[in-house]
Amino acid sequence: MKINVMTDILEANDRIATANAETFKKNGNLALNLISSPGAGKTSLLEKTGDALKGKLRLGVIAGDIETMRDSERLQKHKIPAVQLTTGSACHLDANMVASALPHVDLKKTDILVIENVGNLVCPAEFKVGEDFKVVMLSVTEGDEKPLKYPLVFRESSLLLINKIDLLKYTNFNLKEAKANARRVHPELNIIDISCVTGEGIDEWVAWLNSQYQKKFGAKPRA
Amino acid sequence: MAIARNIVDIAVAVAEKEGAIRITRVNVVAGELRAIVPEQLIFGFGLMAESTIASGAYLALEITPVICKCRKCGNEFTIQDYRYICTNCGSQDFDTLSGIELRVKDIEVE
Repeated sequence: MKINVMTDILEANDRIATANAETFKKNGNLALNLISSPGAGKTSLLEKTGDALKGKLRLGVIAGDIETMRDSERLQKHKIPAVQLTTGSACHLDANMVASALPHVDLKKTDILVIENVGNLVCPAEFKVGEDFKVVMLSVTEGDEKPLKYPLVFRESSLLLINKIDLLKYTNFNLKEAKANARRVHPELNIIDISCVTGEGIDEWVAWLNSQYQKKFGAKPRA
Repeated sequence: MAIARNIVDIAVAVAEKEGAIRITRVNVVAGELRAIVPEQLIFGFGLMAESTIASGAYLALEITPVICKCRKCGNEFTIQDYRYICTNCGSQDFDTLSGIELRVKDIEVE
């Protein structure tokens, strides 16, 4: 006997993601889902961002990692409130994992909540966690063809950060080609070149955060 | 693996509701954009299905192409090689009609 089902495989996840999104809205949080390969510089970016946002917007982080608490320890040194989610064997964060971390985040005292996903360009793109935007990060020590290899994450993201731009001259990474590849899968993608070492592009990234926050809440950042 | 587990959960829930004792086949539709690797998903499904009524069931995957409709000229076209540009007018402004879906279409039970 055949039974018609027509159920979305990610429906259960998406339902929880919607509930998370409502929580973020109610608490005045702009939520970002930050995705990259391992070692692209997600945690370094957050250290820089926390410093650059001081006195403007309050940053909070939920960091996903398969093991260890290293990332949240690094962030706490920069006085960025961070909750570590160790995922065990899972290669991505899902909406339920993020929901379980929310009671440990002081959402009322957070303006920008970055959900730092597990280093991986495949599965994190599939699972919504309640974010306003996905931000994908690529570093110049990776291949410039990555957007074509992992199109979904580049298609789903609103912003691409190209990190380690200070190392460009030491690599055979073709910046123009990388951007063309990214725009081939997502023509309207915003792209910012950054360096977490020299600080290049960090102002532009912070300005982007500011404008998205204001677009969502229509108000000046809370003091 | 999480996707494989969800497929088993959905199939088992539906089958049990219908009073079935065994699932023999699960038909899944996956858009090309999902970049599903069939061998991996089938392997994961087999593992997750063990000791459930879906144990031994055949997982059939139908991969659907990415089809877009241009907002400027109305042209419907299939995205090939991830080239997001209208094949008629060159516009980059269009709606995705299919290719992003990921769902259990139907199941066969005894």
